[in-house]
Amino acid sequence: MPKCTINGKEVEVPQGASIIEAFKAMGEDICHYCWHPGLSVAGVCRLCMVQIEGIPKLQIACNTEVKDGMVITNQSEQVKDTVKWGLDFHLINHPLDCPICDQAGECGLQDQYMQYGKYDPEMAEKKVKKHKVVDLGPTIVLDSERCILCSRCVRFTEEVSQTNELGIFNRGDRSEIGTVDGKPLDNNYSLNTVDICPVGALTSKDFRFRQRVWYLKDSDSICPGCSTGCNVKVYFNEEGLWRVKPRYNAEVNGHWMCDVGRDTYKYVNKRARLLKVRAGQAEYWEDKEVFSAVMEAGRDLRESAEKNPNSVAVVMTGQYTNEEFKEFFDFAAGELKLTRFYHWMNDPAHAEDFDGLLYRGDKNPNTNGLKAEAKTHGGFKSFEDLQANLGGLETILVLGPENQSQFDDIKEKVEMFGKAKKVIWLTACGSEEINALRAPSVQIPMKTYIEKAGSFTNYKGLVQEFKRGTTIVEDALTLSEVVTLFRGHELDYKNRPQPLGGTKKNHFTEIRGQL
Amino acid sequence: MAVQETKLLTEHYDKNEFQGLQGYLKFGGYEDLKKALKMQPQAVIDEVKASGLRGRGGAGFPTGVKWGFLPKNNEDRYLLCNADEGEPGTFKDRMMMERAPHQLIEGMIISAFAVNSKKSYIYIRGEYDDSIAIVAKAIKEAYEAGFLGKNILGSGFDHDMDVYKGAGAYICGEETGMISSLEGFKGQPKLKPPFPAIQGYLKKPTIVNNVETLAAVKYIIRDGAQAYRKYGTEKSPGTKLFSVSGNVMRPGNYEVPLGTSLKDLIYEYCGGLRPGRKLKAVIPGGSSAPVLTAEEAMKVNMDYESLAQAGSMLGSGAVIVIDDSNCMVDLLDVTLHFYHHESCGQCTPCREGTGWISKITHSIKNGEGTVKDIDLIKAVSEHMMGKTICALSDAAAMPAISFVTKFRDEFEYFVKEGRSKVKEVAHA
Repeated sequence: MPKCTINGKEVEVPQGASIIEAFKAMGEDICHYCWHPGLSVAGVCRLCMVQIEGIPKLQIACNTEVKDGMVITNQSEQVKDTVKWGLDFHLINHPLDCPICDQAGECGLQDQYMQYGKYDPEMAEKKVKKHKVVDLGPTIVLDSERCILCSRCVRFTEEVSQTNELGIFNRGDRSEIGTVDGKPLDNNYSLNTVDICPVGALTSKDFRFRQRVWYLKDSDSICPGCSTGCNVKVYFNEEGLWRVKPRYNAEVNGHWMCDVGRDTYKYVNKRARLLKVRAGQAEYWEDKEVFSAVMEAGRDLRESAEKNPNSVAVVMTGQYTNEEFKEFFDFAAGELKLTRFYHWMNDPAHAEDFDGLLYRGDKNPNTNGLKAEAKTHGGFKSFEDLQANLGGLETILVLGPENQSQFDDIKEKVEMFGKAKKVIWLTACGSEEINALRAPSVQIPMKTYIEKAGSFTNYKGLVQEFKRGTTIVEDALTLSEVVTLFRGHELDYKNRPQPLGGTKKNHFTEIRGQL
Repeated sequence: MAVQETKLLTEHYDKNEFQGLQGYLKFGGYEDLKKALKMQPQAVIDEVKASGLRGRGGAGFPTGVKWGFLPKNNEDRYLLCNADEGEPGTFKDRMMMERAPHQLIEGMIISAFAVNSKKSYIYIRGEYDDSIAIVAKAIKEAYEAGFLGKNILGSGFDHDMDVYKGAGAYICGEETGMISSLEGFKGQPKLKPPFPAIQGYLKKPTIVNNVETLAAVKYIIRDGAQAYRKYGTEKSPGTKLFSVSGNVMRPGNYEVPLGTSLKDLIYEYCGGLRPGRKLKAVIPGGSSAPVLTAEEAMKVNMDYESLAQAGSMLGSGAVIVIDDSNCMVDLLDVTLHFYHHESCGQCTPCREGTGWISKITHSIKNGEGTVKDIDLIKAVSEHMMGKTICALSDAAAMPAISFVTKFRDEFEYFVKEGRSKVKEVAHA
């Protein structure tokens, strides 16, 4: 392992490491745009300049390997001056439209100019005009004038998604990003290009102009979109969740996540959610006060189970946390002695599908956790068994999916479950399909992944914990809370997490309308 | 005429038949290939090293040393001839390809034999239609005569050669830009390291040499390194073709020994300036070389060291002679327009800088400049130097810095008076 000195500090780095990697590992500041740890080295922004003793010319840190005994600095006047001017070169043709730019607040140009900039712009010539509001595909809009041609997005489509839609066309200061042959940028990883774009050139159609990023809070979480369990950061305010971005985890998702996973924010917000407990059946539903209604449903359930544990069926989806599953099985199998557990999966025939990068056919974040917990309680019965015994069932308790859009067979299942005498359906989202239940039913609103803490076990058995971000639906419960109420216990009402203070008027919301 | 050119490479260029194979053979063609094939490849490399031959494309890197960077194994490797002659003012490669294509081909086969390459390409700039046709025809003739293909002249050495037509981009004259273009990508220079000798065309070890360099190899083998060293100076041996253009009586290509004084080149070989004109400046090595004032020009010799000492460079050997009828603001404007147009756009300082200094110069030429702009051209250019993947950024910065420094009076006159100091030059 070569040893080198960086800004006066001695450090040992892995064989073959570049200088910029050494800087990053040490937490030393270094200015850069084009370098990205998940992509090949382009060496074009020319900002990560360092001075190496014995080499007269400045070198770029991203393409220079650390050699034993190197003495490296980026604190010399020469380096500082070069970086200052390097940033100015980036800015001379960049439109200073930060007030209307979506990237403002998390912009590489803004951030690095604050730290390293020249602060006396001398460019007095006419700026280069380029294409604006270029529709690159279903998810992304390009503003070529803001683009600093770092080529990260091009390298992403070449090296990671391997879809090769993007290229840099023309040359010199007329260069522009574009799609090859006008083919749209349309792949399940397209929005990663927005994440890695250091400026506001690539913006997400879904997120642009919706929020100012400095008004958003963020929290670490795990994507519930499929069994991969990508590590994500969720961004929210008092209105709800606005976007999901990947968080680096070398073992799971590296730097990336898929577009389907980013869409999980959509069902989390109020518009898609079941806001109250609803009791009734097809064509007639009534909102109920949450605690008493759930306790009442629990009482019924306990009574049925006491009479005959076989008269209660539980249909489960792998969309709850390990902690919730444990609590639930302790109650259902341990206390109520239930035996009929059924595993409901989206499209089981394609559960093993994998796109080679991140996206898996099993659209449940915790199938493995559910299976492991079920195994200790006698495992699952097949749906044929449920079908055969429908007539004799008193109650079906459905631990429904959080994200119903991935369950194509929901109509079929609603029809099937409706043949029982009673249905208790735990669901995060309100849906027409569930409202069609023919049996007398109770729908209980459930919390989504950003509203609770816990852990998921991903496809390869990795247990990943995540924290609560915020609360969006006040009446929504976790499965553990449902179990508490089913047991007939009160919830610690006062200490329940509350939604973010929602009294502040949001002018944007008024103009745009509620989400 | 008092002086004679030293015709080593260009000895038979006046004979039309020298272009075809038969004529070429008449004047000793392919004899040196036969000689080389009987030598050990390493002996050929040693001979070239001993001759001190330096790359004629612009950088002046010792050719034998470059060849020595190749890995010592049997991996496939390529020899590329850089005939993308794009440096403004240069037109020697074109003449060499059109007058003596076989001379280049022979030099290339010898060089390929030395570096053990089985495949070579001649990358010719797209505008050179005639050169492309002539070289392609000559390659065909060479195949038919058994100088190319399998088991050349019974030596057991195989070699194939092809012409590749460029599309007219200046940047493809940069060796890694040329390799990208040859690979079918956008012609953009590649990051170094890795250097082409280790990982070049198709990620294989690759040697890129200029037309004149490869042709000269033939004469080093013919006469030996010591005989070649008789021409030129200690550190810049051999002869060199200079493309002289601008305000001289007889512009054209002149082959003279390196170390010939620029004064002689202009006044003896090229017949001096037009009557009544005074020398103002000379660009000695293509438009990217820093300009010399008349005074400086009269003191330098045309070799790598003398020009470097004078703060300029030999470059591709394109001598642009500027007399007092030219406006330096005007000249810098067209020069920078060229580099702005040709920047590949990869590296930010070059992409943005070439456009910036070009626009400032243009503003000055349009009478909209200020004195501060003159300093700004210099400041911007200084920050473009040595900051990028290839030398195009420097190629734009060097003339810019030298023009505004050495001819500041003309720039100042322009910003103050709104017109050129040179009376004959009228601007709309």
